[in-house]
Amino acid sequence: MFIGVDVGGTCTDAVLLDERGVRATAKVTTRSELLASLTEALDEVTAGISRDQIERVNISTTLITNLVAEKKYDPVGLLLIPGPGLNPHTLNFPSPAHFIPGAIDYRGREISPLDTAGIEAAVADLHGRGITRVAVAGKFSNRNNSHELQARDIVLRLQPDWQVELGHQVAGALNFPRRAVTAYLTAATRERYQYFARAVLEALASRSINCPVFVLKADGSTCPLAYSVQKPVETLFSGPAASTLGVQALTPPGETVVVVDIGGTTTDLALILSGQPLLSSRGARVDRQLTQVRALAVHSVPVGGDSVVDRIGRELIIYTARMGLPYCLGGPLPTPTDALRVLGLTVHGDETRAVDAMAGVGGPLGLSAAETARRVVALFVEMVAREINLMFEEWQKEPSYSVWQIMQKHKGRHRGLQTVVGVGGGAAGFTAQIAAAIGCYPVIPPYASVANAIGAAVARPTMQVSVRADTQAGYYLILEEGVRGVLPAGASEEDVMALARQWLAKRSARYGLSVGPEVEVTQREVFNMIRDWRTTGRLYDISLQTTGGILAYIGAGGEFHA
Amino acid sequence: MHKTGLVFFPAFDWAIEPTHPEREERLLYTRDQIFEEGVMDLPEVAEMAPRLCHPHDILRTHFCVPDVASLTTEAHLIAAGAGQVLGDEILAGRLKNGFALVRPPGHHAMRVVHGNRGFCNINNEAVVVEYLRRRHGIRRVAIVDTDVHHGDGTQDIFYHDPDVLFISFHQDGRTIYPGTGFSHELGGPTAFGRTLNIPLPPGTTDESMLFVLENLILPVLNDFGPELVVNSAGQDNHYSDPIGEMCITARGYATLTSRLKPHLAVLEGGYAVESALPYVNLGIILALAGLDFDLVREADYPRTFHEDPARRPRLEKMVRDLLEMWRLRDQLDLSSIFGREEFFRQQKEVYYDTDGIEDKQVETVRVCKECPGYLTIDSRALHPDGRAVKVMALSVPLFACNHCRSLAYDAYAAARKENSLYHHIYLQDKSMDTFLAFDTAAGSESISEG
Repeated sequence: MFIGVDVGGTCTDAVLLDERGVRATAKVTTRSELLASLTEALDEVTAGISRDQIERVNISTTLITNLVAEKKYDPVGLLLIPGPGLNPHTLNFPSPAHFIPGAIDYRGREISPLDTAGIEAAVADLHGRGITRVAVAGKFSNRNNSHELQARDIVLRLQPDWQVELGHQVAGALNFPRRAVTAYLTAATRERYQYFARAVLEALASRSINCPVFVLKADGSTCPLAYSVQKPVETLFSGPAASTLGVQALTPPGETVVVVDIGGTTTDLALILSGQPLLSSRGARVDRQLTQVRALAVHSVPVGGDSVVDRIGRELIIYTARMGLPYCLGGPLPTPTDALRVLGLTVHGDETRAVDAMAGVGGPLGLSAAETARRVVALFVEMVAREINLMFEEWQKEPSYSVWQIMQKHKGRHRGLQTVVGVGGGAAGFTAQIAAAIGCYPVIPPYASVANAIGAAVARPTMQVSVRADTQAGYYLILEEGVRGVLPAGASEEDVMALARQWLAKRSARYGLSVGPEVEVTQREVFNMIRDWRTTGRLYDISLQTTGGILAYIGAGGEFHA
Repeated sequence: MHKTGLVFFPAFDWAIEPTHPEREERLLYTRDQIFEEGVMDLPEVAEMAPRLCHPHDILRTHFCVPDVASLTTEAHLIAAGAGQVLGDEILAGRLKNGFALVRPPGHHAMRVVHGNRGFCNINNEAVVVEYLRRRHGIRRVAIVDTDVHHGDGTQDIFYHDPDVLFISFHQDGRTIYPGTGFSHELGGPTAFGRTLNIPLPPGTTDESMLFVLENLILPVLNDFGPELVVNSAGQDNHYSDPIGEMCITARGYATLTSRLKPHLAVLEGGYAVESALPYVNLGIILALAGLDFDLVREADYPRTFHEDPARRPRLEKMVRDLLEMWRLRDQLDLSSIFGREEFFRQQKEVYYDTDGIEDKQVETVRVCKECPGYLTIDSRALHPDGRAVKVMALSVPLFACNHCRSLAYDAYAAARKENSLYHHIYLQDKSMDTFLAFDTAAGSESISEG
């Protein structure tokens, strides 16, 4: 049996899946003590179950998202080696950075050596300011990590107790500013995340649950809890990923749908295209800064069921702020939820209070409570519908770099959205109208209120390996590992592919996962290097991943189907 | 704040031939550099996806022999479509400026296209300019070509158009392909002075190039007052280019861009795929976006180049003469250059280096007082397989007078009657956005209407 738990800001949801399908669900209020909520939800779904029947627990958590959003972490020193190019002062980094001379180029060649004295001076400065965590990131360190390694050695020689995170180890793709931010966030969150991971294991042990524990990542795959501590930032936004996967499991395979998760504070939008959740082409955005964290393309609209409704002049507006519960549930101010209550689109809350709330806002405009409620709902629907259209357009406008990709997109352009799937607290009231506004069919799947926990439960681990090989320079790199090795002369594409498979198996074994014969090639670039009209070498960029996807699809009665 | 639009289309799956300079690898290291710099994430930059250029938009600029489909691949349509996307956004006021960082290039493609010459089939800038004039109702456009090679295709297409100013500086045609672009090539009788060429000797440095910019190009642009400035941003003036012999640096190109302030830059040549392109392209993007490019440096920086000061007076004289010619362009007695006939006729030989085609053209323009005059091109292309393709092409300008238009239609009808002389007869009516093609062997006419 599998358990999925989503520890959200408002509720902690859990589901238990057995070999037939959904066996139990639970919804408890999230309290300040996250782990108490976790054990409470676990106790509820495992009531009457022998603990040794539980094969796996998957957890999605907003811990890192909240830590980062609220900046509840210790200060981090940023040592950057930007080399020539864009003036690094143009960029906004999350904290003041030390820029250290030294340069590597796109082929991984050293252009100028690292200024070791500059690193020493930066360490002295950070020490003077009481900082003990450092993130080091260099431009093109993914092609040659020697400067980052040298920098780490110097820091640790001077300050053996400091925590040092290196860019090439957390962010192997091209993009120096995102690499710097990702290394910074890793340094900022690792220690606290370690406490969390340890506490989760203790909580489970206290309930005699000793099965493997996984954490949901932003890209919708899972990772063993023990290994997630290496890159805690990958668990950013696992909440929206959970509900997207939940919808994937709860709708028929292969459909193209827009996921609308209507919560109290925000409405999260995601796209499932031909059955596959859409990955963001840009990586997760944290506090307006882009990272190299692979994430599902989730668009957050800052309005939800608890947003404040107000009147400005002759216009009704919905603020992007939450000031507590809806009025009908004892809160201070009118909200879209009160509008739903007035219109009978929800049965929660006190109807009289809801009518008072709506009448209070609309009265001065000469509107009845029901008329006001209709306008509020229409306004909410309009805001969400606009964002859905924007999101779909953005996806269509995403750039492609080969003729083939552009022609694929050109052919698929007219295959639009057909279905809106609503989940979350506000789903029942708003889904039908949002769907109507964009000309789609509305669907509210079974278990819509715990879709996130279902998503966590059906998520599966995936493992990626990206190999870059340069036959002219005679080296290969394993980007996820920061490993550089010697490439035999004349290595062919098959040789590089075999190398990638070996590393995929090696990495998977280390994470306790087995690699089946089904491996997906997610990137395959081969370039001949021509100098003076002769081929002098080849550049390979090959990425493999173990087949991901979800464990199972769930039918209307909660049973699995193929 | 309006952003700089960037369409990056490296065509990683398209090449002329595997070892050709115009191959898959060409923008690979540029990709690495601009992605690693995080250029696409900058708030000053908006990355956009290209679209496919419609064949009708190509017919507005070119006579494709026998037809558009035979001469274009999808890569050509995407490269031209990239400029269209940016042009639309710029003229709609949603972008400050834009850079179509695309391949394949286009500035050697002339009005009549029999095949590939100078790595080009379709003239991306010309297609975009004609499209924008039709779509957005603008009239005056300037194209500044900063490739090491003379932009002979663009010059050919706009040679008789008084509303398009074409300025090209390049390595002296006596020392490099395509062997044209001399300072006496100044435009036809109805567009005199609207073509300006500045041939520069091999070894020209940033300093001399910027001298030409400041003392000739910018004053002329200011005087002409274009509604749109397009830059054919070739990068083979770079000191490390394997084809050109000039000494321009990445920062030289960036400085040029920041002062020229083009609305739309379109990549042309540049074949130092590692030592120049990553840096020059980054410099151009930063300059367009108004960002500091002072730290953009090639790997072998610092390298400085000096020119023999003895060369300077010649350059200054050429700049002075051209500026004087520009000032007097509408006051000169053109009959001394072009004669007094109603039709001005010139012969041209166009060689297609890539495809080995030799084209003999007779180009005739009606010297009209009311409009730029309609154009007749009699083209005989000898293909390497011995095939000779004879073409009659008629072009009616965008702002044509009724008389020129009706003369062109009459000429088209007459050519069809004596159809044994030509394999293909074309009428390109830019004023009505209607393009006719008559295939003599098939006896059929095709019409493309906007």
